[in-house]
Amino acid sequence: MMDCYLGIDIGSISTKGVIIDDRRRIVARTYLWTEGNPADAARRVVADLGSQVDRNAVRVGAVGTTGSARRLVGAMCGATVVKNEITAHAVGTTFLHPDVRTILEIGGQDSKIICVENGIAVDYAMNTLCAAGTGAFLSSQAHRLGVEVEEFGSIALTSKKPANIAARCTVFAESDLVHKIQVGYAREDIIAGLCRAVATNYLNNVGKGKQIVAPVVFQGGVSKNAGVVRAFEDELGMDVIVDADGHLMGAFGVALLAAEAAPRITSAGDASGNAGAQAEAFDFDALRSFEFATREVECQKCANRCEIICVFRNGVIIDSWGNRCEQGAVKTETYAKAPSSSLLP
Amino acid sequence: MARDDAEDARRSAGNRSEPSRFAARRDIGPLHTDRGQEARGVRVVVGGERGPFKLLPQKKRTKRDRHARTRVAFFRYSYYDIAFKFFVEQVLDADFVALPPATKRTIELGSRHSSDFVCAPFKHILGDYIEALELGADVLVQFAGPCRLGYYGELQQSILRDLGYEFDMLNFAMLTGKPLTEYISTCKKKVNPDVSVPHGARNMLAVFKMIENLDEANDYYLANAGFEVVPGSFDRARAAYFDAMRLAACERDIAEAHRAGMEAYRALPTNRPGRVLRVGIVGEYFTAADPSSNLDLERKLLGMGVELHRMLNMTNRNLRYNEKNLRASISDYVTYDMGPTSSMTIAAALKYAQEGFDGVVHLKSAGCTPEVDCMPVLQRISRNTGMPVLYLSYDSQTSDTGLDTRLEAFYDMLAMKKERTR
Repeated sequence: MMDCYLGIDIGSISTKGVIIDDRRRIVARTYLWTEGNPADAARRVVADLGSQVDRNAVRVGAVGTTGSARRLVGAMCGATVVKNEITAHAVGTTFLHPDVRTILEIGGQDSKIICVENGIAVDYAMNTLCAAGTGAFLSSQAHRLGVEVEEFGSIALTSKKPANIAARCTVFAESDLVHKIQVGYAREDIIAGLCRAVATNYLNNVGKGKQIVAPVVFQGGVSKNAGVVRAFEDELGMDVIVDADGHLMGAFGVALLAAEAAPRITSAGDASGNAGAQAEAFDFDALRSFEFATREVECQKCANRCEIICVFRNGVIIDSWGNRCEQGAVKTETYAKAPSSSLLP
Repeated sequence: MARDDAEDARRSAGNRSEPSRFAARRDIGPLHTDRGQEARGVRVVVGGERGPFKLLPQKKRTKRDRHARTRVAFFRYSYYDIAFKFFVEQVLDADFVALPPATKRTIELGSRHSSDFVCAPFKHILGDYIEALELGADVLVQFAGPCRLGYYGELQQSILRDLGYEFDMLNFAMLTGKPLTEYISTCKKKVNPDVSVPHGARNMLAVFKMIENLDEANDYYLANAGFEVVPGSFDRARAAYFDAMRLAACERDIAEAHRAGMEAYRALPTNRPGRVLRVGIVGEYFTAADPSSNLDLERKLLGMGVELHRMLNMTNRNLRYNEKNLRASISDYVTYDMGPTSSMTIAAALKYAQEGFDGVVHLKSAGCTPEVDCMPVLQRISRNTGMPVLYLSYDSQTSDTGLDTRLEAFYDMLAMKKERTR
């Protein structure tokens, strides 16, 4: 029986999952579209991962979730660790590349930069108000050009003279793009220009004021786009490392965190507040056999009318969040644990 | 001839209307006067015998009882409603309209009636004012001044008047730089003609003392509430302290309430590990200090077990503000004063960095120009000292999911860094 740990990263566009063994190697990986239904995506990810491993030889000791739907899927899976994607990415990347100094990450709807010193994240920034230059922008433009977004990179690399496309804002970039198409620019030049615009936008917005020091690791779904990688290398004047598993790094990181948290839970006298974590192994079929439902309730206890999100498993409430004060706290069957673990003693 | 006559007769018989038309034509003269009489009749119905023609029906104006006590309201600003109440009741000798805690409706009201690009404090304050007027306030007080907020009082006044509210505005931003007599005469005119100047002056000093006390107690709360042993004990002590302060009616009451409150705080058990995370909060005057504007950021951080410090409060910014000295402490970075809180933001951040804090959170409302100007300087300080800074911008959003993610990540980063560099 091999002890394994499961990490799921449920993003806005794609859902990623990995299973790592006790030596922190990835033994199963999957990547599929969220399609606007995180609960179903998590179910598919778990089913896919379960089919990749020998279930009789593997015992999943702990589950970690990250990404924007981490709370929901965490409640569904009874996760030990529910962590934000920034920490998960930093942990995963520094494990694989101990000498990394800068992590660039562009996902479906957000992008971030993490500065690392001596294997510790020392500074980070995340796009705040605008989703310009993220994966969602690229795929909508791919649709406009009639190309699959997966082909973007290879097409961009064939361009000799990328078109100049405004990078500041998606709206401007789009009108610029339409103009260039109508003037008759070659398609590969436009696509290469778009990749360049994404890189420039990222460095001007998210990377503003941050020192980008080599080695640089580039991750997230957009890192699979060779055109953007090339654009970053040209802009920064340094090599940009892209991992084969770069798009899975969030899931890998949270699996590492789950693995770290798991033995602490079985040992007695754990003071980190992770009560309620299951000691029994994760059941791959549990997700399929249970019916999950999310309902939004408007709290009537005071004038603020908080929207409380309740997650039900087979009609029984298992977790709720969204209340601003204690009055709106909903009693759940299992004690809902705080998402932030106290890392300090 | 006869045939013609007959035809004429037939024609006139066929066209019955013709004679009447003739008659009407003949009556042109007198018709004028008729029409005039008709118009006069209309005027009688609408506007009464005297006075000009009214285009719009006039709203019935309720006459204010001039001898009733004026009901004065402030905007919501953190816990300073306690000091505002004391000011209204003891200095102006008027009634204070206490506002319930802000809700989603407040900011919805404020955003609906303000320009989209105006900064978030404007929207919050406008929402507060509308709620205060609904509760029956006669006079609204505005005192903000050092940035474009100084013009906001006038703007809010005209927006509220356009909405049809009847009120008076005591806008101290209009009096900045004028002699004290001007302040007194304005207060007399707008709020209470019988204001006692000696009594008011004496209680004004008590207001200052109260603000200093409130801020001192809050500093203790921020530094220690993250390590409470009994969950909620600090919040309960804080509520009791505020209640006692609200009841205070003179200097002695204030001093007594403060002494008892601080004693209660110090008696609370705390479990403080040897190495704790210390985080400083800097930023714009309104957003950094007001919990309903920054989505309760302080409580979120305290919930993670962090020691918090915030230099920006009314004591340091309004009562003891010495911009020159603050700027002298950051002379390596700054030559000129850049705005209302810029010097304090940068000086506080630098002080925290020099004292070895683990991180600084910088808060501003989206588009706050003075604080945007501070950011490159803060980035330089961060680079030179190795202390991370988290930049947060607020608008009228009510969802705190994004904020939770960023704060959690910031905390994890600081905690891991502290653990590894042990």
